[in-house]
Amino acid sequence: MGEKITFKSFKEMPLCAMSIADMTYNFTGSWRNVRPYYDFKVSPCRLGCPAAEDIQRYIYLATQGDFEQAWKAIIESNPMPSVTGRVCFHPCMEKCTRKDYDQAINIPAVERAIGDMGLDNPKWIKKARATKKEKIAVIGGGPAGLSCAFYLARAGYPVTIFEAAAALGGMLRWGIPEYRLPNELLDRVVQSILESGPITVKTGTALGTDVALDMLEKEYAAVFVGVGLTRSRAMGVAGEEGPGVEHGLEFLRRVNGGEKVDPGKSVVVVGGGNTAMDVARCARRAGSEVTVVYRRTMNEMPAIADEIEEAEKEGVFFHFLAAPKTITRGGSGRVTVVFQQMKLGQPDESGRRRPVPDGDKTFTMEVDKLFTAIGEEGDAASFGKAVETDGALIRTKGAFGETLKAKIFAGGDIVTGAASVVEAIAAGRKAAERIGRMLSKQPEPAAEEPRTISIENINTAYFSKAKRTLPPRISVEAALEGFREIHAGFDEELLGRETARCFSCGVCNFCDNCWVFCPDVAVKRLDDQYEFNYDYCKGCLVCVTECPRSAISTREEGR
Amino acid sequence: MKKVIMGNHAVSYGVRASDVKVISAYPITPQTQIVELLSEMCAKGELEAKFIAVESEHSALTACVGASAAGVRTFTATSSQGLLLMHEIIHWAVGARLPIVLVNVNRAVGPPWSIWTDQNDSLSQRDTGWLQLYCESNQETQDTIVQAFKIAESVMLPVMVVLDAFFLSHTFEIVDILEPEQVRPFLPPYKPKNRIDVDDPHAFGNLASPGEYFELRYMIEKAMEASRDVVRDVDREFEQRFGRGYGVVKPYRCDDAEIILVTSGTVASTARAVVDEMRGEGVKIGSLKIRVFRPFPFEEVYQVLSKTKKVAVIDRNISFGHHGIFYQEVKSALYGRTNVPIIGYITGLGGRDVTPRVIRSIAEKAMNDRNAEPDINWIGVKI
Repeated sequence: MGEKITFKSFKEMPLCAMSIADMTYNFTGSWRNVRPYYDFKVSPCRLGCPAAEDIQRYIYLATQGDFEQAWKAIIESNPMPSVTGRVCFHPCMEKCTRKDYDQAINIPAVERAIGDMGLDNPKWIKKARATKKEKIAVIGGGPAGLSCAFYLARAGYPVTIFEAAAALGGMLRWGIPEYRLPNELLDRVVQSILESGPITVKTGTALGTDVALDMLEKEYAAVFVGVGLTRSRAMGVAGEEGPGVEHGLEFLRRVNGGEKVDPGKSVVVVGGGNTAMDVARCARRAGSEVTVVYRRTMNEMPAIADEIEEAEKEGVFFHFLAAPKTITRGGSGRVTVVFQQMKLGQPDESGRRRPVPDGDKTFTMEVDKLFTAIGEEGDAASFGKAVETDGALIRTKGAFGETLKAKIFAGGDIVTGAASVVEAIAAGRKAAERIGRMLSKQPEPAAEEPRTISIENINTAYFSKAKRTLPPRISVEAALEGFREIHAGFDEELLGRETARCFSCGVCNFCDNCWVFCPDVAVKRLDDQYEFNYDYCKGCLVCVTECPRSAISTREEGR
Repeated sequence: MKKVIMGNHAVSYGVRASDVKVISAYPITPQTQIVELLSEMCAKGELEAKFIAVESEHSALTACVGASAAGVRTFTATSSQGLLLMHEIIHWAVGARLPIVLVNVNRAVGPPWSIWTDQNDSLSQRDTGWLQLYCESNQETQDTIVQAFKIAESVMLPVMVVLDAFFLSHTFEIVDILEPEQVRPFLPPYKPKNRIDVDDPHAFGNLASPGEYFELRYMIEKAMEASRDVVRDVDREFEQRFGRGYGVVKPYRCDDAEIILVTSGTVASTARAVVDEMRGEGVKIGSLKIRVFRPFPFEEVYQVLSKTKKVAVIDRNISFGHHGIFYQEVKSALYGRTNVPIIGYITGLGGRDVTPRVIRSIAEKAMNDRNAEPDINWIGVKI
């Protein structure tokens, strides 16, 4: 406590009411009954991402112009943002808080822009040296296998990838048309992964014929199986084997291999998933009139909504609530398909209403070509007896792709059934991390229940309404002329505009509000963080209210 | 450099010339163009000031209070309802002894809604401890802003510069623009004795017991008294440096006048034209413009008016239940010192024109109407 000051005359008084003494002795923090503290949450977008990409963080880094760190932040969870930025079904956007304010952030476009910068700046990645002696086998060079290999190699494990086809990429290469994912770009992505560490590649080496799983299990310290689903599912319809009927995936393989295809004037595609959309749009590009026939309605279609929309724009017709019943062939080389009309019944195990025949109503179509795209399945025979299977899928236990065999891990479509690129990438990474912990005998990290926020926790007074930024696109006519990508990437201006929309949910982005608004100057601004000075924080919680993004929490004192 | 600009922009140029560091304002007609131009100047970097946009006038003046307490030169502008919303902080700025300069564009108070001029908004703040300076031309407005900062920082009291809506705010005149480099030797950077400083923490705005509050009020009045000389000296120094001075009051042809019209704001210019016209007809008439309303220039007013035979005070305001406010003030300045008759006239409320004809009718009434009420005569009422 300072000394008492006695004025000898009123002339010594200050002009206004103020203390003459320094007031720092007065620890006004003792008045506080509630304490604010910095407490960062997990943004909902990250929780929505199967690969758990730190979306808030890379968007924040991009707003700061630090694209290298932004790219590295993505690479922590996903080695191929250029791919997912183009083909992912972006469940992150479904969770985006901004969706409940105006429109979700265009996360895939941001991811793609930053991912492409990574490809343009190969120096951003440091090649890892082989520091571990345990060799790992990765079977399958699709997204799951590439992801697993990348994270193991980064950790210093020598990895060998066994790939049945002549080139790496799996479904990315053979299943996804070039207008969604150009081959040239995929080559660069694969190259960037292979250059990241000690990875050896054996192409043209198929599991079951060229190598056997039980042999690899003996030779390698661990084996990751990520072979995907290679077989198109049969419809089980009389007449489906024969000319005029082709598996959609086979057609895509030919198209992606550069073959000039001519499916004929009229084409029907049976199915409602992404393969069906890809087949339909490729057939449109070959000049065919295309009708997609799906046994349920548009609401139940598993295809990515954007892909359905683009297919419609490109003139693909849709016929819902119908399934092929019989296929016959006349002399003209065309196929005659009788369709059973369907109606929706009770929900099935997927929650979607099950299609059931609508009495004996049928209709007939005569087409040049029918493509089946009703799903794919695994090749159970190729595993031998080395793993336990569940139908044509590999059975796993736990969240990290552990099979019932200690050294064998699996992930991607061969475990989940037909799923997504990002889920395969996530599975590959998780298995790699688990393998690393197993080989280095590290304990499993404790699982924490993530805390997140929602729109109620955002101080929307700080955000103007702003529509989602869309990248430039080519016209439908130009799209149908070939296999050019539909959308261009964001340039830096568009990237800046879109990243500026991010709320940065639950995570500080150094907006200075707490520092500016604290009436007691009890927020200290350090180089890379803020700090409360509890000697003087009175617990007024103005900082909590003015933090636009709920990065500050409170707790009662003495509890 | 001379420019033809509106009165509002003359304010903006005055602020620019004064090296103001923080401007906070909320738009209101007829003031908006002042802060609009200032915000443009800030955006373009012509004025290195922080422009704080706020959600109300209360916050605008509060932001100025904060910035001024932190030791920088601050400015805000408002009008009518905006000034009234500031009322709480108008008092605060005085008690905290902060040399803020505020421009109020005189606009009638609602309801009924009006955007046109009269003086009731600023005059309703007369007992708060702000100095008040009333302007009649765009040049005077610009120059008064610069003077106001110097006065405010000398006596540590806030200053309100007042101009008429539209008749001045939106009227274009030639203004000799002051540049910051010209003004800097006249108005050096603001260096307060005490300021809020994180590295030297003191408590401000503390509770004052009856043992101190009284003295702090006394010191405000002493500062107000001291400001009489400061206002006069600052104007003189300004005149020496820039060749333009405005005085505390401005008498016109008063030396042998038998009747003097007392005016303020733009009515003063019109009154001078009427004086010239009637002088041409042989009437011994003069006019007195009161430029400084607070502190009220008792002595200057007495010196001019004690020599005449009749005084007519023209008020563009009304203190309901009393009289015109300038009338009250003039009367109190002369009370007990002279027996010259003083007659009060109310006119021009809510922006009604005060034309030469209106002013002439007031002069003629004052000279000839033996039955005139001494205190309150409404000119032009249609009821």
